Amino acid sequence: MTRPLAVTTNERNAVTADRVRAIWRRELQRDDIMPDDDFFALGGDSLIMVRIQGAFIEELGAEVPMDQLFLNPTVGSIAAYIDSRAAPAP
Amino acid sequence: MSLQGKRVALPPSPVVHRRFEEHVRATPDAVAVVWSGRQVTYAELEARANRFAHLLTARGHGRGAKVGICLDYSIDMIVAILGTLKAGAAYVPFDPAYPAARLRLLLAQAPGLALIVASSTTAAMVESGGAEVIDLEQLADHLATLPATVPDVHITGDDLCYAVFTSGSTGTPKLTAVRHEGWFNLMNWLQREYGLHRGSHHLVVSAFGFDLSQRALMTPLFCGATQHLMASRNFDAMLAYRMLTQYDIRVVHCASSTLYLLIDWESARGGDALARLDYILFGGEALKSERLARFARRPDTTCTLLHQYGVAECTDVATSYDLAHYRPGEHDIAPVGRPAHNTAIHVLDAELREVEAGQYGEICISGAGVGAGYLGAGGPENARFTTIDMDGTPVRLYRTGDRGRIDDSGELVVAGRLDAQVKVRGMRIDPTDVERALGRLAGVREAAVVAVRDDGGDVELNAFVVPSGKDLAEDDLRTRLLRTLPRNMLPSRFTNILRIPLSPHGKVDRAALADICRPRSADSDSAG
Repeated sequence: MTRPLAVTTNERNAVTADRVRAIWRRELQRDDIMPDDDFFALGGDSLIMVRIQGAFIEELGAEVPMDQLFLNPTVGSIAAYIDSRAAPAP
Repeated sequence: MSLQGKRVALPPSPVVHRRFEEHVRATPDAVAVVWSGRQVTYAELEARANRFAHLLTARGHGRGAKVGICLDYSIDMIVAILGTLKAGAAYVPFDPAYPAARLRLLLAQAPGLALIVASSTTAAMVESGGAEVIDLEQLADHLATLPATVPDVHITGDDLCYAVFTSGSTGTPKLTAVRHEGWFNLMNWLQREYGLHRGSHHLVVSAFGFDLSQRALMTPLFCGATQHLMASRNFDAMLAYRMLTQYDIRVVHCASSTLYLLIDWESARGGDALARLDYILFGGEALKSERLARFARRPDTTCTLLHQYGVAECTDVATSYDLAHYRPGEHDIAPVGRPAHNTAIHVLDAELREVEAGQYGEICISGAGVGAGYLGAGGPENARFTTIDMDGTPVRLYRTGDRGRIDDSGELVVAGRLDAQVKVRGMRIDPTDVERALGRLAGVREAAVVAVRDDGGDVELNAFVVPSGKDLAEDDLRTRLLRTLPRNMLPSRFTNILRIPLSPHGKVDRAALADICRPRSADSDSAG
C-alpha cells in the first residue's frame, strides 16, 4: 500500500489508533475505551486477546505476536507498535 | 467400582532421563530441540545437560535437591531440566509470565530450593526467594570447563523428578512432587499405547507452570523425537499455527480451552496443519464437545483426539479416551476413558468404600503415578494421600476431590468438583486464593469469590467485595489484582456488597452469592 507523502506520522498513528480502538470496542463489548486504558483492567482476557490478534491480521494486515499484545496493553501503545512495524525503513 | 489399567513391567530403575540417554547413544545426530531458528542435536543437548549437572553436583546440589527454573521456553530451559534430573535433583517450574508478586508467593511456598536457574530477563522476578539465582549464559565459560560425560549419580524410580504448584485447600498454592517412576510410566504408556516414535515431533503450546507442560516437554525426548519450542512467553495461536505449518510436528498436548483456540484459528483462516497431526492430547477441564464437533467431523481430519484426565498430584494423566468413540446422543458428558498402564481408578463414597457400577462417587487414583505428596509444611491436603484396604491388600491412593462415575462401557466420566475449587481454562483454582488477594487490597474490607457458569457454559469467577469506604470501581480492582494474580485467576465480574452472606454454620454462603450473580447477568443482557 502506498501512502500519500503528506500523511504525517502523527496522522497515521491516529488512524491506526482509531481502527485498533474500534476492534477493541467490538471484542470487549464496551464503548468507554481511552487510549491509555489497560486491556486487562477493561475486563479483557487471553481469549479476547486471541480474537483481537486475528482481527489485526484480517482488518489491519498486521501480524502482532501475543507477547507484544501483552507488552502493549493499551490502544495507544499497540497502535504505535503496529505503526512502527509498518513504517518503511528510513 | 474400579478400573485397572494394563500392568506393564518397568525397568528396575525407571529413571526418565536414562531413556533420553539411550537415544543419545542410538541417534546422537538427531535433532532434539528446535527454538527460534536454532537447534541442538541429542549429542549436543546431552553434553550441555551433563555439564550443568556437574555444576550442580560440584556445589553439593545432587540427589534430593530441588532446583527452581524460571526461564522462557528455550534450549537453555531443556538443558536446565535435563541437567537437574541428571544431578539427581528435582526441578520446580516458575512461570515468568506470572506477576512478580505471585512469583514471590510461590517462592515462599518452596523453601529449601538449592538455587534458581534464570536468565537476564527473568532473574529479577525470582530474587526474593532467598535462593541463589544463576544464569546459564553468564556461566557459559565455566560450564565449558566441566565434563560433558554423564555424572555418576545413583537415581531410583522413587527419587523426585519435578514438583509443580497446584491449588491447595486453604487458599495458598501447594507444591506437589512426583517421582521418576510415575513420570517414566506415564511417558512409557503414551509411547507404547499410541505408537510414538522418533518421528513423533512435538510442539509445546502450554504455560511452563502447568503439569501437562512437563509431559509435553519431556515426551519427545523420551521417544527420540524433536521438541519444537515457541519463542513466546504467552500462548500465541498465530505463532503456534505457523509452526505447525512450517515444521513436521505430529503431536500437541494442551488444555481443552487451548485446543478450541487452535481449532478456531484453523477454521477461521483455512488450513489443515492441525487436522493432519497424529495426536492431540487434551483435557484438564470439562469438555465442550460442541467446540470440537465440526473439526472432528471434517473429512481431512486424520488426527486422533485423546481426551484425558488426571491430576498433578498423580503425575498428570491417569486416563485417556479416543474421542472418535464419543456419541453426543448417548453420553451427556464426554468420557475420559480408561487408566494408563499400572494405574487404577476407584470411585469411592465418603467412607472410601467402592460405589456400585454407574454410581457417582469421588474419583481416587492408585498405582505408579501416585506422587510423593505436598512438599513443605503439612496441611489438610496431605490427608488426600491415604492408604485403604482393598480385598485384604493395602492400596495407597490419592483422593482427587473430583466427582465421577464409571459408565456402562467401563469408561470414566468426570462430573465436576466435590469442593469449592473450580477449573478455569484448564487451571484448578481455589476461590479462596483469589479472595485473599482481593482482601489484601486497600479499600476492601472483605471479599468472597464464587464460580458461576456464563451463558456459553464457561466457568467464570464472580467477586463480591465489601468496601471499607466508598464503592470500588471494577476496572480499579482489576488493575490492582493484576499485580498479584495470574491473569486467568482474575474474576470476570465484581460486585460491591454491604456484607457477605453467611450460612448457618458461619461460612461464606456461596449458593446465595451465586444466586445474586444470575439476575445481574440477565439485567446486563437486556441492557446490552
